[in-house]
Amino acid sequence: MTAPAQNIVGSGDPSRRVRSVAGREIVFDGEGFLSDPDDWTEELALALARESGLDDLDPTQWRVINVFREYYYHHGRAPLNRQLKAECGLSLMELEGLFPGGLKYGARRLAGLPNPKTCS
Amino acid sequence: MNQINDQRTGSEMKKVRLKLNGLSKQFVVGPERVLLDLLREDLDLTGAKQSCDRKGQCGACTVIVNGRAVRSCLAKVVDLDGAEIITVEGLGTPDNPHLIQEAFVLAGAVQCGFCTPGMIMAAKVLLDQNPDPSTEEIKQALRRNLCRCTGYVKIIEAVKLAGKFLRGETSPDQIRPDAGGPKLGVSHPRPTAMLKACGLAAFTADIRLQGALELAVVRSTQEHALIKAIDSSLARRMDGVAGVMTAKDIRGTNRLKFVVSDRPILCEDRVRYLGDAIAIVAAETKSQALAAAEAVEVEYELLPVLKNPAEAMAEGAAQLHQEFPNVCFRQPQIKGEAEKALAESAAVIEAEFSTQFNHQAPLEPEASLAYLEGEGDEAQLIVVGRSINIHFHLAQLQEGVGWENMRYEEAFSGGQFGIKVEVISEGIAAAAALHFQRPVRYIPSLAESMLMTSKRHPFTMKVKLGADAQGKLTAYTNDFIIDNGAYHSIGSTVCKRALWMLSGAYNIPNVHALGRLVYTNNPWGSAARGAGPPQVNFALESAMDMLAEKMGLDPLEFRRINSLQPGQTKSTGQAVEQWPFPELCEAIRPHYERARREADAFRDGPVRRGVGLGAGSFGIAMPGDGAVAAVELDEDDGVTIYAAAADPGEGNDSMLTQITAHVLDLPLDKVRLVTRDTDRTAASGPAAGSRVTYMIGGAVLDALDKLKEAMGQAGERTYQGLKKAGLPTRFLGKKKTVVSGPLDPETGQGPSFESEVHDIQLAEIEVNTETGEVKVIRMTTAVDAGPVINPQNLKGQLEGGMDMGAGYALREEYVHGQTKDWVTFKFPTMRTAFDMEIIVRETPRVRGSLGATGVGEMTLVPTAPAIMNAIRDATGIRIRNLPATPEKIKAALARKG
Repeated sequence: MTAPAQNIVGSGDPSRRVRSVAGREIVFDGEGFLSDPDDWTEELALALARESGLDDLDPTQWRVINVFREYYYHHGRAPLNRQLKAECGLSLMELEGLFPGGLKYGARRLAGLPNPKTCS
Repeated sequence: MNQINDQRTGSEMKKVRLKLNGLSKQFVVGPERVLLDLLREDLDLTGAKQSCDRKGQCGACTVIVNGRAVRSCLAKVVDLDGAEIITVEGLGTPDNPHLIQEAFVLAGAVQCGFCTPGMIMAAKVLLDQNPDPSTEEIKQALRRNLCRCTGYVKIIEAVKLAGKFLRGETSPDQIRPDAGGPKLGVSHPRPTAMLKACGLAAFTADIRLQGALELAVVRSTQEHALIKAIDSSLARRMDGVAGVMTAKDIRGTNRLKFVVSDRPILCEDRVRYLGDAIAIVAAETKSQALAAAEAVEVEYELLPVLKNPAEAMAEGAAQLHQEFPNVCFRQPQIKGEAEKALAESAAVIEAEFSTQFNHQAPLEPEASLAYLEGEGDEAQLIVVGRSINIHFHLAQLQEGVGWENMRYEEAFSGGQFGIKVEVISEGIAAAAALHFQRPVRYIPSLAESMLMTSKRHPFTMKVKLGADAQGKLTAYTNDFIIDNGAYHSIGSTVCKRALWMLSGAYNIPNVHALGRLVYTNNPWGSAARGAGPPQVNFALESAMDMLAEKMGLDPLEFRRINSLQPGQTKSTGQAVEQWPFPELCEAIRPHYERARREADAFRDGPVRRGVGLGAGSFGIAMPGDGAVAAVELDEDDGVTIYAAAADPGEGNDSMLTQITAHVLDLPLDKVRLVTRDTDRTAASGPAAGSRVTYMIGGAVLDALDKLKEAMGQAGERTYQGLKKAGLPTRFLGKKKTVVSGPLDPETGQGPSFESEVHDIQLAEIEVNTETGEVKVIRMTTAVDAGPVINPQNLKGQLEGGMDMGAGYALREEYVHGQTKDWVTFKFPTMRTAFDMEIIVRETPRVRGSLGATGVGEMTLVPTAPAIMNAIRDATGIRIRNLPATPEKIKAALARKG
């Protein structure tokens, strides 16, 4: 998955979207990342997973999501791939294949981490 | 020590003996070798800085030669045989500083620190000859030394303080704040100030990189054209050339995306402005790289050039980006019924205003390094530059160059003023390091830096402002168009910032505005101190004076009675909680009345004095803003802050240190900062938008609260105590704005900034009606940014901002391709410096960091309109298009008759 193409005339704000997901109004950025990682819930992760074509999240996928979140809430930033590989014990190819959109547009987005490339 | 420093034939070389910082040295040099390059390149004495392309314009390279202050960029080494030279490194060290270095630190004269070594050397020569100089004598002696940060006020104070030290009237120990005393509201020296004063702070170009290739970039000579062919065959065969790369050699997206993905690292098939990057040449030396870049041939097919928004918006205009229309963003703002309210108003004024392209003008030119640690696919790419948003820029670069395992390191930064909200030269360096698999340095000239960097957006604005018979504002309209230049960058954010703050300090019940952002073939606009509000506030504050004059009202009282009050709404419809602006009007009133009385004595004759006001309420913490920071209790019971809070000169390091020491009641030296490295810091967001104190400071305070809570649970304040209690010693703190979400795309109604800093400024100026020259006599500012953490830092921001605002008002205009150095830019100097007076009020903000909010950008927002209003007061003419150059003033006076 790549970031959606944008024709931004009249959009009001190219970098923020308010969407109703899992029964809540939540602010996303233009690439579908949560604006606030504290808005994340497991229910939200599942809803986003289904939007991306997954029926459910298996234990390995949850493990990756949890590594993202634990790393973020300790360091205040997302892990690099080498840190993810070490924490999850998986190769980069295995990690990328776990989520539609790979690690960044898949796992990281489902884990609710902010997109460091978002600026309002 | 013998060195051969020039690629010359033996017959041209000459042996030169020098006494350098007390040591005898010998060099063999060619006739063109200048002292600055000898010091920096051969001796690694990098305290002397290069800014002005060795034209002798900036004084950053000043050293002492035989007792005289000499610009080392102009001094040929062959002419210095037998000379005695002192550089800043020979003056003192952080452990044993010279009294002048102490004075600069204690006076708060060190902000970014890039100009500081040169200033100190010039000051030493002056004080050696005259230990008690007057202000005018200091201005004369330091007239060749430029500073963008301070407005020169604190530099002059530092020289006077140094004189007192040298004369034995006082000592550093007598005036240094008690490190064990109160931490807040005290001007404790900045943590890095002494390093900078001793010339030991490593700016990017100061960093040695063994075996590095030097880069040069082939840049577009056309404003808009298709690239038909690039012939680098000759360049590749030239001496020392390691290779030439073009866009096809970049393995990533080749885009540096901020909001939209339109800016390439290297152009692929089209150039969109003069100076667009086309190819990179890597060579063993910089001169070889530059020569080879000259030899690269680019064949163009010229396209129509969109010189301004009007041409870009015309029917049938060429489209600059295939993916985006030329009007690439638009945002209306509709509150109430403005046109109806204007029709019913007792008085209405209508006018058009415009502002210019401007360069942010940090003294340090662009500079980036990159190298790989490790080998193969596991290698980590290290990029060194002076980003103020290192995690965001890391992500931009990862995608742009196609390498995920990357670290960004921020060197010391010679000012930035918004320019480094974007990666600029870093993309070139990162791509080249990957392609050539060698360390690389990209240290462009000032002229090339100006060509490649972003600029302050020009605005054109059509406004109407109305009031009722009681002088209360009724309605405001502003139809503004922003020249975005060739690439989007944060253009849409600048448009929104203008709308978020459109109504300034005032309660305006009806507003109708439309902001449009338009691509052109001009240099790309981006962040520049204030970024949007300085432009629209110039129109609003000029209109306020025009309306007051039309209604026969006092401009100060007119502003005071129209101030927003808590519960009333800004132009976005967001109600405000606090609005301590009327109190500032009262605070400045005695100064205003004094200034008016004094000006009355200068109403006739060729030189006329005028008094003008400008106000502003500047938003901090945009809707949805968030920051994170980590704190860790160290084994010695000190604390380390991990936050990507760049400090290019504002004093963020002071703020973080002082609030932490205050909260934990720690000595200042027990607070450590890790702020410059993406591998070690929390992603705290940009050091921009005046948000660092409010947002990142707030996140640090949240983390400190968690640490204190753990200490409470453990019943211990020590590292060992927390460990024994099984509690963590590291905590992540967060701060996020209460409101988030976008403006409504049709009405522009919605959340605005969470906090405001308020300011009103009084300009006292003289206009020479024969020459058109305007001299600023004094600027007085009354400001309320909440409780002051470090008074010197606050004042430093205010003074530097007003100086920058005066340049924006009167002199500075960036003309692409013509503005190439500090003379053509009309950089502010000691000679253009003016007296400043500061009035501070300290209303605690509800969600401020210990009540504090930011201040760095606000300080120039009211300056330009205050000066324009003063010109009107002095002469009866009104300048609506910045800057108010002598030519414009003379023309307006001629029209007035």
